Parts: sequence; structure tokens; C-alpha cells
Amino acid sequence: MRKRRGRKWIRLGRRIATHAILILACAFAVFPIYFIAVTSFSTLPIASITAQVLIPKESQLSLASYNAILFQQNSPNFATLIMNSLIFAGSAAAIGMLLAAFTGFALSKFNFPGRRTFVYFILLISLFPSFVMILPFYLMFAQLGLIDSYLGLIIVYSSGAIVFSGILVKNYMDSIPDDIEEAALVDGLSRTQAFFRVLIPLCYPVLGLAAFLAFVGPYTDYVFAHVFLTADTTKWTLALGLYNIANTDSGQSNYGLVTAFAIVMSLPIVAFYIAFQRYIIGGLTLGAVRG
Amino acid sequence: MTGIRLDHVTKRFKTQLAVDDVSFSVNDGEFLVILGASGSGKSTILRIIAGLEVQTAGHVFIGDMMVDDYEPRDRNIAMVFQSYALYPHLSVFQNIAFGLKVRHVEKTEIERRVTETARLLGIDDTLTRRPSQLSGGQRQRVALARAIVREPEAFLLDEPLSNLDAKIRSSARIELKRLHSQLKQTFIFVTHDQSEAMTLGDRLAIVDHGRLLQIDTPERVLSHPMNQYVASFVGSPEMIFLEGNVESTSGGYIFGLGPVRIPVRGVGQPGPVKIGLRPWDVSVARAAHDQSVAGVVSGVERLGSSDQLFIELSASPGAPASSSTSPVAVRALVRAYDFNIGDPVWVGFDPDRALFFDDQGARLESMSLATRLG
Repeated sequence: MRKRRGRKWIRLGRRIATHAILILACAFAVFPIYFIAVTSFSTLPIASITAQVLIPKESQLSLASYNAILFQQNSPNFATLIMNSLIFAGSAAAIGMLLAAFTGFALSKFNFPGRRTFVYFILLISLFPSFVMILPFYLMFAQLGLIDSYLGLIIVYSSGAIVFSGILVKNYMDSIPDDIEEAALVDGLSRTQAFFRVLIPLCYPVLGLAAFLAFVGPYTDYVFAHVFLTADTTKWTLALGLYNIANTDSGQSNYGLVTAFAIVMSLPIVAFYIAFQRYIIGGLTLGAVRG
Repeated sequence: MTGIRLDHVTKRFKTQLAVDDVSFSVNDGEFLVILGASGSGKSTILRIIAGLEVQTAGHVFIGDMMVDDYEPRDRNIAMVFQSYALYPHLSVFQNIAFGLKVRHVEKTEIERRVTETARLLGIDDTLTRRPSQLSGGQRQRVALARAIVREPEAFLLDEPLSNLDAKIRSSARIELKRLHSQLKQTFIFVTHDQSEAMTLGDRLAIVDHGRLLQIDTPERVLSHPMNQYVASFVGSPEMIFLEGNVESTSGGYIFGLGPVRIPVRGVGQPGPVKIGLRPWDVSVARAAHDQSVAGVVSGVERLGSSDQLFIELSASPGAPASSSTSPVAVRALVRAYDFNIGDPVWVGFDPDRALFFDDQGARLESMSLATRLG
């Protein structure tokens, strides 16, 4: 009799401990976001952790920061910044997704000599941080006159997607049986038609993930944008704008402005994720990455 | 008039010879079964006919047309895959209609043909569902419907019944046979299951290691197998082989098996041979009968409708007990269920039913046993 009762308590204790740890972990993840959000609404131009900030009083909340960023005359204009970011990230997402699809298809469904070596090679490359490419890219693109242009940066952003997402698509396509493609061939499609009309629709989850990754990277990128877009402020992205705001005013940052900017900047990503989350999670879990 | 003809077709994969100089014809409206073990090349032959593999040498004719240079989609054939290969993201209706839609068939015509075919196969109540929501048997019928609706010149089926539960398989077999007689189209069916082949085929093409061994009606394959492989592959339970020697004596040829001597009829020569017997041609009794040999039951396999007895023959009466040869083992198919291990029995067979094979496995058609055992 004794043993049984002990077991119930142990199980309960374990559950409480598990939940406590998980809640703690969530807090670590969520708290910074909460803090930033609160700071963006506060009237105090400084960021400090006091009881007032943690649970702000009604009187301290204001939309002044948001007003300043969005509606007042800035150079460059917030609308311009967000438009540029969407152009760059959106184009990279679309092109990157398509190129990843082609790459994955070729690596998965075609037998060519050196295929395995090539796959290992790509995996190896994906281990390097993208920044190692800045210097070669800059030199190349400067010669081609692609600095300070939309085309140049879009090309750079798109190429990043192929490397990793290509492997993602390949692994996903590996799990699609060959005879579905063959059935399509017998039914009357050419190889290309079978690719677009049968294989691609079956890959929507992993393509959604590839598009998401290809969007988020460029959208949040600062380094490449700073190197490739210099003088012409009309092409600046949100990341550059954020840095600009954070660094003016004689070294004393207005954290309210900075955090408000960050919150607004993150909204498209959140919207994108909510819209595509079914595909994204599906792409992640349906055997997308297997070593 | 759509027969299919293979003319010296060979397929080599890098180092491996998958199809070795295969030639045969399929008559219009015939149900041909290509029968072989796994890896024998039977699926490769089918895929070459479909155009999914390109042969290394030889020609394929569909109708009178040589289709070697034609893509699968231009060969006007339909294929049913072992795994059915249904499009998971489309409904049953869309799956069946796919081939028609691709060829820009008119929408009302598609509607008509799909519903008609679905009704023919008894799946018209599943048209709005997705393949993942269907049972194995239903999926198989959708795969069939997808092929039928295209009204192709020939149907190629790659082990379509192998993935079905054993219980459904025999009714699916009968349904398929009925479908064939209704459609009156050419069917080429690949399988490794010899009973399936025997049930379904108008003719059987037996394939081993890429070579076509024999192409004949089921009855003839059973009664006149061209070699030992065919004889042992077709027919269940498997054929018994007794190894012995043909010796030349003053009275003619004699087949010697252990202590047993049987006169041999026909043309032949001395040397090692094998005799093949079907288990159902071996008679077993509790008492000695005309020209029977003594034996002991060493194993019983209960097959349901009958029992297969494993019998070890003792030396024939009169022969010294210390025979140096190992005991001869035979199998017999009996209807009576009352034999057990250890029972003494007497074994006999009809000599006309014995087949001769040389030591390479080739059938020696001209030789036969003259009299009964003993």
C-alpha cells in the first residue's frame, strides 16, 4: 500500500517541476519581447527595469514613440523603409523558393554522377556564416555596377536561400515515391509538367518553409544591406533605418523610438508566420531535415 | 488490333544484365502474365514496354508501331503500379480524371467517363474523398479506374494485388479477370505469385534472371515445363525431384535411384538425371499395393483442404538394410487427414506423370518411365 501512494506523489511532483521549468523557459523567451513592447509605449525616454516598467501604470503609456516614427517627417520615410524591406525580402523569398525547388528536384529525382559529393559540398557550404561572402560579393558587384541597386542585393539575398533550402526540398522530395511521378508521365505529362503540376503541389509544406526562411533572413539582415546600399537612402531597408535611429542624438538613444520601430518592423514577419504556420510547421516536421 | 511485341529486348544497368534478349508477342485482348521471382527482370520488362526505362537493345512494338523513341505519354498505354501511385493531393474524381484533363478532353465528357468507370468498379461513392481516406482495396480500384478511363491500347499492371490483404486478394483476382473479359483489352500483368498467374493468365511468360524461359498456357506450363526452374516454380506444392542415373543395360535404359530400378522408355543417353513428380501424383496407402515402395512419414504439413506428407522411402523390400545411400525423400498430397509422423506407408505413382530433366535442368522430353516404381 505504501508504495502506491508514494508513486502518485512522485508523478505529481514531476509534473509540477516540468511545468515550472517550461514556464521559466517561456519567460526567458517572452520577457525580452514584453520588455521591448512596454518600453515602446512608455513616456520615459530611458529603458530601466523598475517595478513601474514591469507593470506600467496607465498614465505612463503613450503612443508618442509610434507617432514619431510613423507619421512625422523623417529621412528616410518609414513607409519607404518598409516598402524596401518588403521588396528585398519578398523578391528573395519568391526567387529563393523557386530556385530551392529546382535544386531539390535535381538533387532528389535525377541520377547524375557526383551527386552525393555535390550534396555533401552544399551541406559543407551551409555551415559557413554568410558574412564570409561579403568581400567577394562586394568586389564582384562593384565591378558589375550592382552596388546601391535593387537587383544587386536581391541577387545576393536569393542565392542564400538555395544553399540550405535546396537540401530541405531534396530531403522532402526523397520521401515522395518515384512512382507518383511515373504515373504522371504515363498519364500524359512531360517531365517538366509533372514537376509543376504534381511534385510542386505535393511539396507545399517544405516550399512554405523555404519561402519563410528566404524571407526572414533578408528582412532582418543588417550587414549585407549596409554594405550594398550606401548613399542612396531611398533604397534603405528597415534594418538600416533602425540602426539610424538608434545611433543619432549624440550617443544617447531614445529607447522609446528604437523599441517602437522594432515592434512595427516585426509585424510583417508575425503576419507571414501566422498565415503560413501550417505549412512551416509541416515542412519542419515532415522529415524536412535529416542530418 | 493492338498486340504488343518485344523483339530481342535487352537492358543493361551499368554492370547488371536485367533483361537478356527477350522476345515475345502478346495477342490483342490477351491477358498475359509475366511470372518470375523478385529481381528476375519482370518489372523491368514491363517498364520498358511502358517507356519508363529505355532498353539497351531491341525493339518494342505496340500495335504495328515501333515505339522505342516514344515517351510514355505518347504510347497510349495505361499502368497500374504496385503501390497504386495515386495523387495524394487530389480527390478520387480528380485522380481518375487526371489523364483526361491533361489531354484536354471536354469537361462533360470527362464527367461522363469518370462516373461511368467509377460505377463499373464500385467506387462511385468515394469520388469526393482523398486517397488517404480510402482502404487498400478501394485505392487499388481507383488506380484501375484511372487506367481504364483513358481507354488505352493496353494495360500494364505491376503486381497490383500484392499490397492487398490476403482475404481480399482472391476476390480482387476474380474481379480483375471479369473486368478483362468485359473490356476485352490487352492486359500485361506482372507477378511473383504463381497461383495468381495460373488463375489470371491466358498465357504465362516465365522469366528468370532476365531470360524468358517459357511462354505458354497455364495448363501447358504445368504439364510440359521446359526446364527444371519452370517446373519447380509453377505448381503448388512444389515439384519433387529425385536424382538418379540412367544406366545402359542389355535390355535398354534403366533409371536407378538408390536401390530402385525402373526401365526407361524413349530416346536418351546414360548419365545423371532428375525425375520430377508433382506431389498430387504420388499415391500413399497404409498397405502395400501394386509396385509401391515402403516409407515412413517424417513430416506433415496441414494445408487446409489437404495435407502434404513428407515421406522417407526405406530401401525397397529385399534390398540389404544397410544401404549406403541416404534416404530418398518425397512429398505427397493427400486428402485424408489421418496420417501422422512415424506412420509406415506405401508410396506409388503413375509413371506417365514423371518428367525427366538432365543435370543442367533442361527437360528431356523424349524420356519417360516405362513401368511403375519397383
